[in-house]
Amino acid sequence: MSALTRSLRSPRVLIALVMILCILCCAVFAGWIAPNDPGDQNLLSILVPPVWAAGGDPAFPFGTDSLGRDVLSRLIYGARTAMLVAFFASLGAMIIGTVLAHISGYFGGTVDWIIGRLVDVWMSFPPVILSLILMVGLGVGLDRVILAIILVDWTRFCRVLRSEVLVVTRHDYVAAARLLGFTHWQAIAREVLPATLPLLITLMSLEMAIAVIVEAILSFVGLGVGANQPAWGQMIADARQYVYQSPWNLLLPALAIFFTVTAFNLLGDGLRRTLDVRLSESGR
Amino acid sequence: MIGIIVKLIARRLLTAVPILLAVSALLFCVLRVLPVDPAAMSLPPTATLAEIEAKRHEMGLDKPLPEQYFIWLTDALHGDFGPSIQYRRDSGSLVAATLPATIQLAFAAMVLAAILGVGGGLLMFRVRGTALEPLTDFASILLLSIPEFLWGLILLFVFGVLLQVLPFTGEVAPGLPVPHITGFLLLDSLMVGRFDVFLSAAKHLILPAVALGLAFSPTIMRVLRSSLFDVYHEDYVQQARLRGLSEGRILVRHALKNASLPTLTLAGVQFGILFSGTLLVEVIYSYPGMGNLMVDAVRNADLPLIQAIGLTYCIVVLIINTLVDGLYVVLNPKLRLR
Repeated sequence: MSALTRSLRSPRVLIALVMILCILCCAVFAGWIAPNDPGDQNLLSILVPPVWAAGGDPAFPFGTDSLGRDVLSRLIYGARTAMLVAFFASLGAMIIGTVLAHISGYFGGTVDWIIGRLVDVWMSFPPVILSLILMVGLGVGLDRVILAIILVDWTRFCRVLRSEVLVVTRHDYVAAARLLGFTHWQAIAREVLPATLPLLITLMSLEMAIAVIVEAILSFVGLGVGANQPAWGQMIADARQYVYQSPWNLLLPALAIFFTVTAFNLLGDGLRRTLDVRLSESGR
Repeated sequence: MIGIIVKLIARRLLTAVPILLAVSALLFCVLRVLPVDPAAMSLPPTATLAEIEAKRHEMGLDKPLPEQYFIWLTDALHGDFGPSIQYRRDSGSLVAATLPATIQLAFAAMVLAAILGVGGGLLMFRVRGTALEPLTDFASILLLSIPEFLWGLILLFVFGVLLQVLPFTGEVAPGLPVPHITGFLLLDSLMVGRFDVFLSAAKHLILPAVALGLAFSPTIMRVLRSSLFDVYHEDYVQQARLRGLSEGRILVRHALKNASLPTLTLAGVQFGILFSGTLLVEVIYSYPGMGNLMVDAVRNADLPLIQAIGLTYCIVVLIINTLVDGLYVVLNPKLRLR
């Protein structure tokens, strides 16, 4: 694991981890940090501007939305939604993609062909379109969003990891493990998988960024986590209708998404540079 | 050379057929296992169970799934996707009415993405090794983190709301006539000689196209830069330098030409994704294209329309990928010889 400790010294990874920690804190301690209940409607004070703008109310630091709900509290609770989706969706996609990639790359032959064609068909669907269609079938809800992202994005892991597995399987130490009496599954789990781990971790952090965006998109379109769960995409959709009255309501959740996505991308980029042997050798 | 390109495109189209069949089957299955009953939806809420059953029979929903798929597929091949449940019009004609607007937007965005991507890539390559390099590096990661969805909102906020210099709703200013000849509004307005309509349509196109173009340029930038790095290790670049050619000439005449191939391969994939990216941008800017129609259909569980639009997206993406492959052969002399 020396590669992992080395990557912890990379400034990109460090900055990214600090950013992610901030968002995680918001997500975990939302109940303590948020000044108001995110679902509380104050119909007497709707579309209040943030405190730094004229007419702001200190009770609502970032203002209120069209139903008089506190924007700051909704932003903080939205972080919880985003992080839940980011973590579980990328985990699920990673598991399906990784298992299929290892089976495909290790065994080759017919299995490889079938999985390869399955990925081809899946990837000829534009991801946004496929996730929308899946949401029609699954219905709204946090778990449905996670499931939809898993069902769309497993191919990202499968395609990239398969070629890596293909290379690793050819190594002598895998053949040696087989000679020692390892079964195929033992060889995959103990010899091949550890070798693909750096790539896997990198892909996972990039997938988290994608999951955050997809969740925002689905919530924006109204097919996301549902009306009762605060989500950044939903806040944007609401603010889009009142963009002249309260442009800040549009900008703040957009910035939250940007901050989160940048953090995960930065982490992925930093990990890729430090973990990927081929990349660090060539200097790029 | 044209013969080779035609042959290649024909081969690509042949492989596209099984993919399209599989895609349509997948689309059909996903939408048929839904807990939505298209028969009940197309009848008034007062319909009796017997009426719904009769409608199910009429729509063929009581047949086994493979048979239903086969019927739908043969109809679809004849251009008949079945009537939309909410509009009570043929889904195919609804798609055909909105597709040109989406193509127009995607095309403008592709041109922008290519210009920004190549320009940015060259800039990033020129500042290599200087103090500016980490800056451009960081900028490219930042740009990479802004999807078309966020660009759309940011541009809407800055240019539409704060500065109020550009319109951000619809395809053309309200009140202006929308001529219908080819469906491409920019073209049609010129054909009927309405320059005011053309100007308004062009203005309305700026923000969505820039949002989409900006979102897809950083990938092109980064690939172009790294392929330029690779090319600069080649002997012919050293040789050109020994011959005394200026750095600018080496970059444009020798390096850029060779680095454009891997960039184009990636750009092709990107353009396919860009086309589906129009969906969100259309929703944000209320642009009357296929994306808005899709979201509308999805919200109302309008199955025939969803199927028609979903398939259209897949077909357009496949066509774009095939065209890029053809272009690849045109640019790569090695492939031409085979």
